[in-house]
Amino acid sequence: MITNKKLTLDDVVVQAEGNIVSDMDGEKVMLNVSRGKYFNLGDVGGAIWDAMSAPRSIRNLVQILMVEYNVEQSVCEEHVLSFLGNLLDNQLIDVGEEGTRQ
Amino acid sequence: MKKEWNQPTLEVLDV
Repeated sequence: MITNKKLTLDDVVVQAEGNIVSDMDGEKVMLNVSRGKYFNLGDVGGAIWDAMSAPRSIRNLVQILMVEYNVEQSVCEEHVLSFLGNLLDNQLIDVGEEGTRQ
Repeated sequence: MKKEWNQPTLEVLDV
């Protein structure tokens, strides 16, 4: 697992194990069991989380989101990279590089 | 029709 790194569009991301996820009023709420912390991912964050059920590159993730949401590519890339950085800081995702899919 | 985009945020809940 890679931590403390700056994410790029070529990085491959996947949900980390050990989280209990629930939908509440259209928003995704998560309990990280090992750390006992609760998180609210919101609606867009929940869609990103769902898309990471299997390993995929962030570039591919952005393409999926652009089909579903009305957003410019540059904005989507910036927002997704920032959001995934927060998830990584909280050990909620695992990251590899393109070509090293798990 | 595409959904409206909102910047995704990670909110830590104080439970």
